[in-house]
Amino acid sequence: MMVLVARAASFTASLDRDSISLGETATLSLSFEGAQPKNVPTPGVPGLQIANSGTSQNVSFINGAMSSTVTVTYSVTPERTGKFVIPAMTADVNGQRITSQPIELTVLQAHAPPAAALNSGSEIAFMKLILPRRKVYSGETLAAELQIFLRDDVQNFGNFQMNSTPADGFVIGKSAEGARFRTQLGSRVYTVIPLSLALTVTRAGDLSLGPFTADIVVVLPSQNQGGDPFFAQFFNQGEQKQLTLATEQVSTHSLPLPDQNVPANFNGAIGDFTMTVTAGPTDVTVGDPVTVHVQIAGRGSLDSIKLPDQSGWNNFKIIPPTSKSDLSDALGLEGTKTFDEIVMPESASIHALPAFSFSFFNPDDGRYHTLTQPSEQLTVHAGGTAPMPTMIAAAKNSAPENQTPQDILPIKENLGTLAQISSPFVARPVFLAVQTAPVLAFLAALVWRKRTDSVANNPRLRRRRAVAHLVQIGIGDLRTFAAENNSELFFTTLFRLLQEQLGERLDCPASSITEAATEDLAARGAPESLLNDLRELFQLCNQARYAPVRDPAELNSAAAKFEKLIAELQALKI
Amino acid sequence: MKSFLSLLFAFLCAGKILAADFASNFSAANELYAKGDFAAAAAGYDKILQSGRVSPALLFNYGNAEFKSGNLGKAIAAFRQAELLAPRDSEIRANLGFVRNQVQGPLLQESRWRAALGQLTLNQWTFLAAIALWLTFLSLAAAQFRPALAPKLRSATVFLAVLAILFGAATGFQAVGHFSQQTAVVISDNATARSGPFDDAQNVFAVHDGAELPVLDQYGVWVQVADGPGRTGWLSIRQVELLSGA
Repeated sequence: MMVLVARAASFTASLDRDSISLGETATLSLSFEGAQPKNVPTPGVPGLQIANSGTSQNVSFINGAMSSTVTVTYSVTPERTGKFVIPAMTADVNGQRITSQPIELTVLQAHAPPAAALNSGSEIAFMKLILPRRKVYSGETLAAELQIFLRDDVQNFGNFQMNSTPADGFVIGKSAEGARFRTQLGSRVYTVIPLSLALTVTRAGDLSLGPFTADIVVVLPSQNQGGDPFFAQFFNQGEQKQLTLATEQVSTHSLPLPDQNVPANFNGAIGDFTMTVTAGPTDVTVGDPVTVHVQIAGRGSLDSIKLPDQSGWNNFKIIPPTSKSDLSDALGLEGTKTFDEIVMPESASIHALPAFSFSFFNPDDGRYHTLTQPSEQLTVHAGGTAPMPTMIAAAKNSAPENQTPQDILPIKENLGTLAQISSPFVARPVFLAVQTAPVLAFLAALVWRKRTDSVANNPRLRRRRAVAHLVQIGIGDLRTFAAENNSELFFTTLFRLLQEQLGERLDCPASSITEAATEDLAARGAPESLLNDLRELFQLCNQARYAPVRDPAELNSAAAKFEKLIAELQALKI
Repeated sequence: MKSFLSLLFAFLCAGKILAADFASNFSAANELYAKGDFAAAAAGYDKILQSGRVSPALLFNYGNAEFKSGNLGKAIAAFRQAELLAPRDSEIRANLGFVRNQVQGPLLQESRWRAALGQLTLNQWTFLAAIALWLTFLSLAAAQFRPALAPKLRSATVFLAVLAILFGAATGFQAVGHFSQQTAVVISDNATARSGPFDDAQNVFAVHDGAELPVLDQYGVWVQVADGPGRTGWLSIRQVELLSGA
């Protein structure tokens, strides 16, 4: 049987460590025992970043007694070194207000292990920062190297993360991992992982780099597995350990670029370069473009190289160049940069492309250098006096899009058909309205087809229409016969029309219709007035057989009565 | 009636005179071009364009003259307009491609679909779609009038309907591009995009003459353009020429 034992609630705050290095993260745990806290205090300490990292609950039964512990954890990341106090916090647990004890946390500056420790092989892992030269120039881009040493008993590593990379006077650019190698320090062998960093010096004066700090998780052989060492080497899964690595701070001095002997067209290129210049076509007309192809190769910050302004190119219209970098190393410090500059001679008096020069400062020898391409002969024809360059004609006649043209194709001689600028057809309401015509035509055809099929499949309907048509014509005939006072034909026609109409209504042959049909109509609910009119007309027809002489007025009256009767008959719902 | 005929005759004569004027202005501009006076030639072509009349040849020559005058943006704008009128003209495409290659900055990337659809103008796609639509429904109507023809017409009707759908989709795609997308072609030597549509807004990035940038928004005399993924800025409308379509 479970026994619930009421226990006094408690609240404790604790840190997993009381001293950490800058860049490391400690864990703060707030534990509430006995009951759920009503409010969880949020600690706040200037200089510490404290962030909630989760909540867990532990329920245990011991000898039938249940106890519950709620733990709220926070990650604590220092922003500076020093001693910090996480103050006492108060929480409402199970109706009691409980206060925790204040906790101290000491944050130390991350530092590299002493040289003696490194050389003895006692460090599991450490980092070294190496600058290639102690003398650098402002604006220069150079490659530094960060080396990560891992001792031979490290089975694996991961989660390498740089925490801080202080660089006073440098801008850190691209980075690239180099080829790993092994080295012996003391009695241990270390695997070295080199990481190259591109650094650009931003100012002259004393500069410092580091200490860089990083976290890494290494896997070391487990000490507690025991058993046979032979099998242990295959089955030992190892245990993980998080380490914080730090480099020494590296100081250097940056010199400004020399003031003396600065070439006129020096525009900030620093490194060691060579230049190749080609231009073409060299036989052109005034205004035709000549492409000057400049290739600068070497070591330095190629991305930042710009073509200097050229003196002596005053008689040319110059279009800003396009450029393309082809870098041969991962840091972007070696390779080739190519510029294509379009220049257009503005006068036929030009006979040469002027010399082209490019200046740079070489930090290796501390001197400025100027590379110069001598002037090249150029033939410029006056506008309109010379044919367009030959490649134009060739291009025009042979698929211009498949060739690399040197110039635009020439103008067209014929104006062609001029058209008023107008909105596209798809935006014109009239055009869109016209597009509904085929749809309407189809719909009309569809309706026609439905009606035709409907009539074809319905004999009664077909007969009704035929009789209606016949009656329509017959009424005209009756009027004619009445006007002619042709009593015999009048009543013959009248009788026939009555037979047709009643036959259609009663769905029986017309020839079988006599006055007796009125009884059928009466049985089907026809109104008495209609039946009386019908009988009267039948009687008139019968009388006419024996006393055919009638005056036109009487015939017209009979015709009118027939017309009215027919309308009622056709409207009759049987 | 007599006065109407006189009016019609006068109208036709005026039209002929106007056409002759345009042709002589065009020839004069061509001569200026041949003499190397490209700016004057461009002005000559532009004068005809100001009348509201265009032809592929006129826009082509205008683009050439602007390019020779060093105005890459204006040249690209002219070639693009010429390409809209005559999309399969290889000379227009060649010159447009050539001038684009001279522009500093990222090149305009045209998708394969857009390039394929660009082989015909919007009006040509519209006509194809309309013809296919007419034939489809007339075929359907014929099948109603003459049911005996229906089995023979069925395949043709399905084929025409598929064509109508395809051409209609192409027309829709082109129309969306034409009416809802705009491109700003930079016609200023060095234009600076700003963070907002104001003269004193912060500079965001610089664009060069001839850059073709999709227009995202317009506010007064400012257009918002995108220069690569995630980078937008506002350019004065004086620094760009706006074209329909992407």
